[in-house]
Amino acid sequence: MVIHDAVKPAIDIQGLSVTFPSRGGAVRALRDVSFSVEPGTVFGFLGPNGAGKTTAIHVLLGFLQPTAGTATLLGQPVSEKIARERLGYLAENPDTYLFLTGRELLTMTGRLFRLRGAELAKRVDRLLEEVGLSAAADRRIASYSRGMRQRICMAQSLVNDPDLLILDEPTGGLDPLGRLEIRRLIADRRAAGKTVFFSSHELSEVELVCDQVAILVRGRLAAQGKTSELVGSNESLERYFINLATAETDRKEDG
Amino acid sequence: MTALWTLAKIVWLEMLRKKEIYVLFILLAALLLALISLDVYGLGQVTGYVKEIGLLGAWVLGWILAVNTSVRQLPQEERRGTVFPLLAKPVSRLELVLGKWLGSWTIVCGATFCFYAATWGVTLLRGGTFAPAVVVQAALLHAAALGVVAALGIALSTRMNPDAAAATAYVVTGASFLLVPRVPALLVTSKGLSGALLLVVYNLLPHFELFDERRRLVHDWGPAHGGAISGALLYGALLTAVFLLLAWIGYRKKKFSRGDIL
Repeated sequence: MVIHDAVKPAIDIQGLSVTFPSRGGAVRALRDVSFSVEPGTVFGFLGPNGAGKTTAIHVLLGFLQPTAGTATLLGQPVSEKIARERLGYLAENPDTYLFLTGRELLTMTGRLFRLRGAELAKRVDRLLEEVGLSAAADRRIASYSRGMRQRICMAQSLVNDPDLLILDEPTGGLDPLGRLEIRRLIADRRAAGKTVFFSSHELSEVELVCDQVAILVRGRLAAQGKTSELVGSNESLERYFINLATAETDRKEDG
Repeated sequence: MTALWTLAKIVWLEMLRKKEIYVLFILLAALLLALISLDVYGLGQVTGYVKEIGLLGAWVLGWILAVNTSVRQLPQEERRGTVFPLLAKPVSRLELVLGKWLGSWTIVCGATFCFYAATWGVTLLRGGTFAPAVVVQAALLHAAALGVVAALGIALSTRMNPDAAAATAYVVTGASFLLVPRVPALLVTSKGLSGALLLVVYNLLPHFELFDERRRLVHDWGPAHGGAISGALLYGALLTAVFLLLAWIGYRKKKFSRGDIL
């Protein structure tokens, strides 16, 4: 179990705006977005394609500088290395070093977290077993299927046993078994008292695993709260989401 | 330092496993065969030619390898999307720049020293000499020159695509090799604006001639003064640091283009 910092949210975003310069005028990818993620919860970050989810994650991970606003991870500014020591990140695409073997990838990742020796070797073996890649551990990742690549990237995101795991549309392109793996991963993290930030537009997945959600539409935060409270008893998350996205689109067209 | 060596190791493994470096070893084998069979004007025992050709091969191929390896390290991370999971770890952009440089520099040095070893071997085989102290000095200076070239390649790649960065690196380093040593002689006859321009070029471009100990090896001269070698190594380290600083300035706020940003 994790001992959480008493009052510090796992993620805190306040007044976040991101504008990209463009020839046809500036593109406002995020507009004054604010929300917090409590430690130990599974938080769904929803939105249609192009809503700004990945932009927000890129700000959270320090890949992008916001035009305005602040973001903290585990109580630390996103630029601080100490925040990333306790962070795991799984991207949408299983982009990794195809010339390495699965074991080498995990070992090198562990070294970046200053793990070494027997402790690292043990952790790598355990992770390979957890994601079902023990038999393929010494094969180059280039020879892995897409599902296997997603699993090795999943193991890579867990090498440091992170307190906060950020998943950016991890189920895209996965078969039902792959989706099941991701759900199992999220359940395991929750059971261990860790925080999971799960970005997706696959509502059935989110409904199954998330305690709370924030819905982003056209760069604005359209709704936020507990899944059960937002949806109510007679509506599915999918219906709620479609209504919200349509209303936001209509509002924009009217305005 | 652990992060730097881990990043460097990724560069080495990629170079070795993608088999690109083996092209160099095929060239080395061809060069060795040529050197062994070389018999200029029937002077089979004149090993100066062997050293001259072998060391020229080491310089040219080390140069090509240093440029080609360094310019693609950072853009490649971005293109294949591996920069995102990498920078989500406790790795700063400065460490990424330094790790990529370290990996490029060390693997290029390793390949270049294979050329030195081959040239040394063939020279000994043909009854020639190769003073170990001079070889060590020459190799150290050559390594310093390769460090400068690799740092320049990395710096250019933060501002340009890999092809443009490679072309620019070849022009800058090629001009430095060929033009800079001739500038003092040209300055004697150049006056006015052309003289001033030559002086600017002379001071701006790296002085790779300071790192070139081939003549000393070819003509079996003794080792150079330690102070001169230290000065040249310091100059190389300073130039490398300047280029790496420029690389970091270009990379620290870079927006990555791969993946769905919006």
